Amino acid sequence: MNSEQLNDLIRHEQQINQQLARYGVKFGIYKNGVFQERLFPFDAFPRVIEAQEWEHLQRGLVQRVTALNRFLADIYGEKRIIADGVVPEDFVYRSPGYLPQCEGITPPKGIYSHISGIDLVKGKDGVWYVLEDNLRIPSGASYPLIARELCRRCSPDTFRHNHIVDNRNYGQLLRRTMDSVNTGGINVVFTPGRYNAAYFEHSYLAEQAGAVLAESGDLYVHDSALYYRSTHGDQRVGAIYRRVSDEYMDPLCFEPESLIGIPNLMAAYRAGNVAVLNAFGNGVADDKGIYYFVPKMIRYYLDEEPILSNAPTYLPMYPEDQAYILDNLDTLVIKDVAEAGGYGVVFGSKLTREQLLAMRETILAQPRRFIAQEVIDFQDLPILDNGTVVDRKADLRAFVLSGAEETVAWPSGLTRFSRNPDSFIVNSSQGGGFKDTWILSR
Amino acid sequence: MSRTLHFQYDTLVEFSTPVREHAFVLRCVPPSFPGQEILDVTLDLDPSVPYARQRDGFGNLLQIGRANQPHDHFRYSVRGTARVDFTRRRPEACLPVFRFPSDYTQPSAEMTDWLGTLSLPPGGRERAWALSEAVRDRITYAPGETGVNTTAAQAFAAGCGVCQDFAHIYLSLSRQAGLPARYVSGLPEGEGASHAWCEVWLDGVWIGIDPTRGLRADEGYLRFGIGRDFGDCPMERGVFLGHTDQRQTVFMRVSQQ
Repeated sequence: MNSEQLNDLIRHEQQINQQLARYGVKFGIYKNGVFQERLFPFDAFPRVIEAQEWEHLQRGLVQRVTALNRFLADIYGEKRIIADGVVPEDFVYRSPGYLPQCEGITPPKGIYSHISGIDLVKGKDGVWYVLEDNLRIPSGASYPLIARELCRRCSPDTFRHNHIVDNRNYGQLLRRTMDSVNTGGINVVFTPGRYNAAYFEHSYLAEQAGAVLAESGDLYVHDSALYYRSTHGDQRVGAIYRRVSDEYMDPLCFEPESLIGIPNLMAAYRAGNVAVLNAFGNGVADDKGIYYFVPKMIRYYLDEEPILSNAPTYLPMYPEDQAYILDNLDTLVIKDVAEAGGYGVVFGSKLTREQLLAMRETILAQPRRFIAQEVIDFQDLPILDNGTVVDRKADLRAFVLSGAEETVAWPSGLTRFSRNPDSFIVNSSQGGGFKDTWILSR
Repeated sequence: MSRTLHFQYDTLVEFSTPVREHAFVLRCVPPSFPGQEILDVTLDLDPSVPYARQRDGFGNLLQIGRANQPHDHFRYSVRGTARVDFTRRRPEACLPVFRFPSDYTQPSAEMTDWLGTLSLPPGGRERAWALSEAVRDRITYAPGETGVNTTAAQAFAAGCGVCQDFAHIYLSLSRQAGLPARYVSGLPEGEGASHAWCEVWLDGVWIGIDPTRGLRADEGYLRFGIGRDFGDCPMERGVFLGHTDQRQTVFMRVSQQ
């Protein structure tokens, strides 16, 4: 990319951010128990991934998600991987994401994780590491999608002269995925409503995928089938891309107090009359503890060597790992398995002597609650901070779509960076912004 | 020895003002389990709306439906005949979840400590009964002190409860003590209200233990639903539109032929 084109993008950064604000591109966080909505700042410097590098990444992503889907089908079916001693059973059955209500249910076409968000970082050694799998309702695809749209408008030349793979097909990919599992009827994107922080994403994805955007009052279950109340008669729903967590989806099966769910959706799903994207119960496969076993799953189900690396991870429940963790507590990152969104992550290097001792006691008392990882020294990316170029840590959430016929990685992704120079945590819940991600076609 | 039981279970829910769009899931029809054969059964709903029949992940029968029109009461009446024969109980698989704590049965530190003070015999069967006796000694039967959402830990701390609480406390301790156990909701022989008890997996067979009464839950007990705890197998769950007070009247009778 020549500097003129980059300058073109930088010149338009403010304008792009204003447009994003106008579209309501926001996310919500809880800070000290109070819900706040924040704009998600856009940075004009793109992350650039070479064609060959992407080729490697996308093969690894497809492999990983394929194995994770096989794992979910196995856990809610035969449970071979437990019987064969590859994954310890308490990691599965103690996981809050494991839902016995889903036992014996085969989702349409056997797909569990249709939309997967895989979080990666690129180490200073040039190696990509997977940090987390998100198989429930990973969000964020709309941000790079709309940012690309706005960048193309501001600086068409940039996209004419660089060989950037067009990422604007996400809506079509999503639609193809929904169509391939649809049991007969319309496609629906289900949102908790316009006061939800991700409402922009819900409405944008519905529009891009040609699906109907629906809230709980718009949908009902009759005779074990899901219907949408439309102005011209009620329509059968064949696939529902729901952006609400499992526990709130059906008050008659899960959390009884939920007001945003659809009573007896589970009955329609159990009867095979509607595809739910993503399936219920996926949380058992993206648990921070299960993460450790994903490379083993790939070998077990696919008989292949994992293409992508995990960050070196240790489980305190294994005696050798525990000894290593306790000896190296001051250099490791400790993650609480039950927490998400960048919470419950503690860097040993930041703890005082007393805190280290306290952490040691907690780990010994509750070994199943934690995992420990080596700190990956990942690459910085340049960002523009009040007119000066500075380097900040950045990760990449790649989106992988799995339909009945194929699993594909979307040639784009959400690159998030941390605002704080010392922080390794790039989760949007912790501040920070995002960049466009360019995959080069050659 | 087999026994033939007639059963009747009527629940009437009255609403002070009419409700509509009432979606429900019932587990009010007992399924055939090993040792329990349902010979005939009928279900009447009022308002009389169609319902779907499904099974959940535990094998329970579900009756799922929706009453759209405004109605000021909801009644479900089940009657039928069952043959119960515990000599026909056969080894069965145990779902792994019956070995782990669940929402209602998460043990408190107090419970774990207390379990540690008991000197339970080593054999599974003896252990299961000793635990039942210990729970009966420790917990007082006291209706009205606990509610439908009370957990084992809460009831244990209060030291009292009803059959649901006895079952939850028992399950929590039994699983911790290495005995897989599950919750059972159903009807015991006689008249009155529905009941809850436990089954413990001993030598591959599910054995019924009623920790509230300190009895073996055998031929006089009719099983309607099983699960990790109450949350998995309530006889009725419903949601509707309308601001209303509810009054529930239950009549049940189980008698030998």
